[in-house]
Amino acid sequence: MDSGAVRATDAAASVDAEAADAAENVSTTARSSTAATIPRMTRPRDCMATGVAAGLADHLGWSVWLVRAAFVLATIAAGAGVLLYLWLWVFTPWREGDQRPTRSAPVAWLLVGASTVCLLGVWIASGVWTLAAAEIEGSRSLVTLAGIAFAVAAAAWATLIDRPDPARGPRHELAVRAFATVLLAITALVQIFIVSRQSDTVVSFAVALAAVFGIALVYVPTLIAAWRDLTVERTKRIREEQRSEIAAHLHDSVLQTLALIQNRAGATSEVARIARAQERELRDWLFAGDAPADSDLGTDLRNFGAALEIDYAVTVDVVVVGESRESASGEVAAAAREAMLNAARHAGGEVSVYVESSPDAVEVFVRDRGPGFALAEVPGDRLGVRESIIGRMRRSGGSGEVRPGAGGIGTEVRLRFPSERVEASRG
Amino acid sequence: MAERVRVVIVDDHSIFRSGLKADLDDSIEVVGEAYDVESAVAAVTDAAPDVVLLDVHLPGVAVPAGTSGGAEVIRRAAASVPSTRFLALSVSDKAEDVVGVIRAGARGYITKGSSGADVSRAVQAVAGGDAVFSPKLAGFVLDAFGAAVGETAAASDELDRLSAREQEVMRLIARGYAYKEVAAELFISTKTVETHVSAVLRKLQLSSRHELTAWANARRLL
Repeated sequence: MDSGAVRATDAAASVDAEAADAAENVSTTARSSTAATIPRMTRPRDCMATGVAAGLADHLGWSVWLVRAAFVLATIAAGAGVLLYLWLWVFTPWREGDQRPTRSAPVAWLLVGASTVCLLGVWIASGVWTLAAAEIEGSRSLVTLAGIAFAVAAAAWATLIDRPDPARGPRHELAVRAFATVLLAITALVQIFIVSRQSDTVVSFAVALAAVFGIALVYVPTLIAAWRDLTVERTKRIREEQRSEIAAHLHDSVLQTLALIQNRAGATSEVARIARAQERELRDWLFAGDAPADSDLGTDLRNFGAALEIDYAVTVDVVVVGESRESASGEVAAAAREAMLNAARHAGGEVSVYVESSPDAVEVFVRDRGPGFALAEVPGDRLGVRESIIGRMRRSGGSGEVRPGAGGIGTEVRLRFPSERVEASRG
Repeated sequence: MAERVRVVIVDDHSIFRSGLKADLDDSIEVVGEAYDVESAVAAVTDAAPDVVLLDVHLPGVAVPAGTSGGAEVIRRAAASVPSTRFLALSVSDKAEDVVGVIRAGARGYITKGSSGADVSRAVQAVAGGDAVFSPKLAGFVLDAFGAAVGETAAASDELDRLSAREQEVMRLIARGYAYKEVAAELFISTKTVETHVSAVLRKLQLSSRHELTAWANARRLL
């Protein structure tokens, strides 16, 4: 069992995985007499180039180097090794796991190297045997074509296979492609130069065309990606248009009806509350794109108000002014929620919430039109207002105040939180 | 109220029109109804009412792209009936739905969820020459005029910023106070509150403040 040796070269292989593999391997050797227990052939996610040799070695219980040697030997037999390798590469799945496959061998650079060797060799050879050019004409074209193929393969490998690899990525891809482009461009120029000097112009011209075509191939994946992006963008736009069409339609029909229901049923009746909750839900769904994903104080209180409307006979009107820097998890939000809950529970009817974020402070006003109460008359064991609103604000450096509403109707809770405290509590 | 306020209701949903008509109190007389931009212009110029209750989202042919049907009605009809005042009605409480009609010349706006009594009160206020602001609209005004970041008008005729007093009034309205309560809170008369609100409305209509314009442009309201 030599797969361990291969994996030892990969620093990334986790101890757990190795332990699990070792156990698997032991069980394989113990019961290797029955074919059924041989593990399904898979390619390890931490591999050298493609994982075919390592996978096959695991499967057969051979040394991985033996497998590689076998592939090389079989290649001599009319390329059977290469075909088998490609076939296995296509049809063998990756080993189970969610880690992205990484490759230890710099395949793209090896291909670039092969291409460079071929092309440089040809150029040097043409320089040395300029006079005897006719004799080497055929083989030189073949080697040049091989160099072109290697360069294109390197670029394709870098784009299609190395790009998602966390160890390489887009910068590596760009470098490989730039190198391949330069090689191919020089090849094309050299070929055109040869065309101008030589007898067998057709072949040389074809090779020059191949080099130009190769450059095009190097950039095909980018074009495909751009095309795909464009298509996605278009689909998105069409969907957006459809959505706004639906929104306009619902706005004209369903929302109007819901408004009418609320209007006719009286502001605090059960029917009106359900209609209002539905209206809000529908509106949220229709205009979901506008809302910021990150919940700030205003959004949070709005949502909380909507939830209260379902549970209590209230309508909550939330008005937000200024850029809200306060997060929904802060003390202000908690105190404001408590005040809103109190208003909904004890007062009902219409509750107005006003949030203003100025550079100096965040202020929240919660106003109801219920029977009202004086803080002094609340028994000492009732902690709601005293502790969760005023006490909480004072402890966190702000201030809270409960007072009768304007004209003696209802109650107004006022919360104030200075800005520097906001910064501190956020950090 | 010696004389009843004459009103035209403009809304493309007949069920809403009849519902609203039934809900309005006795001091209001409905003298006409209309269901789209063209019929609204005809009804308004024909009846020359005191107040038009105007839906913001109104269908109509030849409404230029980017304006709402409601704003278009005001633009076409206002010149021929100078004494008529417009009150915008919107199904949504979104300021962006409403600022277009306000800029076109509406004297205020209320949501369709408001009760018949609320609408009647608003109609009376508008008929009396006052402006009607909801808490949401007051909040938007504070935002758009930079009140939250401490911008205050130095001179009373400055169009692009609110005076300190106007800000106070707007804040209280945004907090859910009625005009009467605002007056009591600030120790001023209700009439003075109404004056301030009208001044803010004028600024909202005439200001060239860039936030307001940019914001409206972004939504193709103007």
